[in-house]
Amino acid sequence: MNKFIEMILKHSALMVIILLLITGFFTYQIVDKAYLETNLDEYMPQDHPAFVLSDKYEKLFNISDAIVVAVENNEGIYNYNTLNKIKIITNELAKLEQIKTDEVRSIANADNIVGSDFGLEIKKFFTKIPESGTELTTLKKDIEKNEMVYGRVVAKNHQVALISAELVEGKIDRLELYHHVQELLKDIDGPEKIYIAGQPVVEGTLASLMPADMQKMVPLIIILIVILLLLIFRSIKSTFLTLAVVLFSTIWAFGLMSFLGIPIYAVSTMIPVMLIALGVADGIHLLSHLHEKIKNDLAISKIAAIKDMLRELWKPVVMTSVTTAVGFISLLTSEVYPIKYFGLFTAFGVLSAMIFSLIFIPAGMNLLGLPGIKRKSNTKKQDSKLFFSFTDWVLKYKKLIIVGSILLVIVGMIGMQRVWISSSLLSKFEKDEEIIKANNFINEHFGGTTNLNIVISSDEKDALKNPIYLQDIWELQTELEKLDKVGDSFALTDYLMRIDKVMNEDEGDIKKIPDSQELVAQYLLLYSMSGDPENLDKVIDYDYSKVNLRLNLKSDNASLIKDVINRVENFKDKSSLNELKIDYAGSAYTNMIFADLILEGQIKSLLLSLLIVTILLTLLFKSLSAGLLGGIPIAITAIVNFGVMGFLDVSLNTTTALISSIAVGMGIDYSIHLLSKYRSLGQTGVTPLTAARKTMQHSGRAIAFNAIVVIAGFMVLIFSSFPPNRELGYLVSLSMFSSFVLTLTLVVALIDKYKPKFIFMKKNYKLKNKKSNLD
Amino acid sequence: MRKKSVLLIVVVFTFLMASGFNGIVTSIVNAEEAKISGKEIMERVYNRDEGDGRASTLKMVLINKHGSQRVRKIRQFNKSFDNVEKKIMFFLSPQDVRGTSFMNWSYQDGRNDSQWIYLPALRKVKRISAENKSDYFMGSDFTYDDMGDRKLEEDKHQLLRKEEIDGEIFYVVESIPVKEDYIYSKTISWVLKDKWIGLKKEFYDQQGNLLKELKVNEYQEVDGILTIIKSEMENLQNSHRTQIILSDIKYNPGLDANKFTERNMKLGL
Repeated sequence: MNKFIEMILKHSALMVIILLLITGFFTYQIVDKAYLETNLDEYMPQDHPAFVLSDKYEKLFNISDAIVVAVENNEGIYNYNTLNKIKIITNELAKLEQIKTDEVRSIANADNIVGSDFGLEIKKFFTKIPESGTELTTLKKDIEKNEMVYGRVVAKNHQVALISAELVEGKIDRLELYHHVQELLKDIDGPEKIYIAGQPVVEGTLASLMPADMQKMVPLIIILIVILLLLIFRSIKSTFLTLAVVLFSTIWAFGLMSFLGIPIYAVSTMIPVMLIALGVADGIHLLSHLHEKIKNDLAISKIAAIKDMLRELWKPVVMTSVTTAVGFISLLTSEVYPIKYFGLFTAFGVLSAMIFSLIFIPAGMNLLGLPGIKRKSNTKKQDSKLFFSFTDWVLKYKKLIIVGSILLVIVGMIGMQRVWISSSLLSKFEKDEEIIKANNFINEHFGGTTNLNIVISSDEKDALKNPIYLQDIWELQTELEKLDKVGDSFALTDYLMRIDKVMNEDEGDIKKIPDSQELVAQYLLLYSMSGDPENLDKVIDYDYSKVNLRLNLKSDNASLIKDVINRVENFKDKSSLNELKIDYAGSAYTNMIFADLILEGQIKSLLLSLLIVTILLTLLFKSLSAGLLGGIPIAITAIVNFGVMGFLDVSLNTTTALISSIAVGMGIDYSIHLLSKYRSLGQTGVTPLTAARKTMQHSGRAIAFNAIVVIAGFMVLIFSSFPPNRELGYLVSLSMFSSFVLTLTLVVALIDKYKPKFIFMKKNYKLKNKKSNLD
Repeated sequence: MRKKSVLLIVVVFTFLMASGFNGIVTSIVNAEEAKISGKEIMERVYNRDEGDGRASTLKMVLINKHGSQRVRKIRQFNKSFDNVEKKIMFFLSPQDVRGTSFMNWSYQDGRNDSQWIYLPALRKVKRISAENKSDYFMGSDFTYDDMGDRKLEEDKHQLLRKEEIDGEIFYVVESIPVKEDYIYSKTISWVLKDKWIGLKKEFYDQQGNLLKELKVNEYQEVDGILTIIKSEMENLQNSHRTQIILSDIKYNPGLDANKFTERNMKLGL
């Protein structure tokens, strides 16, 4: 290590230049290659069986997410201008390159299957926009009579019409598309109100809001940290160097990400906040030590002071950085790629911050000169007193503290029961967000903006032409539609019943599924002769062995989707469908599986990081009790975190899932500092009280500084306009506060109560004493 | 006026035709050879002899992008009457549509086609109507127009070049719709010189991108008339293909008006 220190001091300028060059390279990578991923499908683990299957069915049935535009006219849509607008929007959307040209649907191009005097007709509702009163009245009647359109394409109050435009396959920037659509609709004025919604819009907005919010938040956090650092150091040089560490490590993390061609996911935008809050810790440690040293010895040479700083602190800095990195690396157990990458690159950033702290700070200090420090004031004596009396209080009430902690765990566990997983993207927005208003509006007038696809399949060709199955599928549709928040459903049965009705119009108004396979087959053939057979490809496959039942939902919450799936499975067991296989597909379904994976990954990575951190501590102090003592405050913090989430009704989602890993990674630093100090004092043979008091005075102080900076940094997020960032802000602050308090109370109380050997074993002294006795 | 004729598939696929006056025409062609226009080439193709009615069996294979197939076998008859071209087709397979029949009358005087369908499972003959001749027929890659309904004068034809492929000379003719807003912005046909049969055709979408390609894989003379036996249309944008194979072809089978009636649709073959 000494060689290393010498080298830094000898070649300071070179070191700084090398670090700056690497930083420059990474900056170039960011500018050149960084891009924001706005397609949520890219967030999912593509090789997970549920996603593979969903993907297969999405391809088979041409299922793709659609942008939905609603046109509202309070006077009703049956007038030339409104209908013309609907037609124009339909045509314009079809021209967008991100949209499938022939998959833009509205009343302007919908098929109307009707029975006429002479037979069956499949025609458009209108080709030329109707103008006369009679034409408009006829149109209204036509729509009312066709349940494939009424309430689906035109609202039942006749004031809203829907236009849905499906996205082409492949990489599409959702946000860019949303802007295109907004741009396109901007020019349309008149009494009509326009609403834009749909999964791509939600994803695009979401993916953009978080980074946009971070862009506002990060400067605020930096300003706050600068103020705090100036208050702590009272030195511009020290503040500058510490700040450089966190900024450069952020650039390295994003630079490496861009260099490897990994896109910026919404969660990745939290990396700067993490690194700012975490990276300052090393700087604070090193530089407070340096300041302390200079205060005690104003005559100390620059080189000597820097050497002392590195020699004394390189170990704790490396140790705490590595344990923090481990906390983040444990996120690699998640199957969710953005979380994996978040963990990986934050860990890389933490380690870069360590390198900067150990090289850039000393080298920079060497080049810039030591910070100007005034003579020691007597404030230190005052806080010594404070720390001493706090220690005495802790030791006096240690039983109370232990019991209190146990109670905290119990309460936390009760709260934990109430934690719910949310895969809902919509719940991440403020209630007055444009997309939420549009979404609610469309849900109010139509089936719902969230689609769940239920795929019913057989191994045999032609099996799904069997009327027994079709009848049960129809009954399943009816049963599901009774559920709250389930809008409507659409399947092959809807076509068959419509055709059957039209073909039998001379026999009265009967609504039924055709009663033989032959009739089903012949209706389908008939439809392919007069209608657009591609429409059928969305509801039945080429071999007639799989059907796709689409359910429109008014919520994208996992609990609703689970509820629907339960109903389907129950229905299956008591119907002919039990001879068939039922699978699910579409973004609502994959989002739900995604949420489950997040929970699973969260628990895995939390347990793993707790385990690794306990093992690391055990190895470090060569004592299992050290490992356990360090692990306890973190474990309790995790429980408190989940408990609070439960009580405050905060859902577990992609953002909040990260919190406990952060808490473990950072909380362990407090334990390491406390235990090392405690041990070094305990082994000198001082009384337990003195050991506790001195530990509290030295480490307690550093821990408090650290906690204040990190908590303050995250508290800034409470002012975020993006709800998940707010949750992140106060939950991380709470976790940090919890592990900070628990470390200084519970751990100290436990050490004092049980006097673990690794702290109080005065091995060296005993040996020395024995020797002297023998002499 | 539109024709929605399945029977014309053949004609269409072929575009073909020698006129009835083979000998005379040949000499004229030779004389005009040097300066034959795109329009004249397409006229020759359009006006080739198709006999006085025809009976044939059609196998239609639809192949989607996943490689799944739908195979239909149809026995079909067609014949021109005074003012109307009549076609009738009976489904032989798949089993569950066997006996389904379809009839189309296409009038020369500009009236809309009349179409009927008989569904044996419903035991009813119904008239049907589809609005657009650009619609794809029965889920195939052929529109009614592609199958021969499109009139010569609906496009402007221009001879682009002559091309030699495998030792045979082809006229390459570009046809651009007179009216805008048609599903194709243009088509390009490869017409075999002297035989006036189209063996390849490219269809371009409204944006000018290649949409579909029609290839004739086998043709032969039946009852003295050049007839396309195997052809395949591929939609290059959605990877859907349709293969058509004709067999049991007989020209001038002696059909009369009774063959083309609702009653006969019910009776079947």
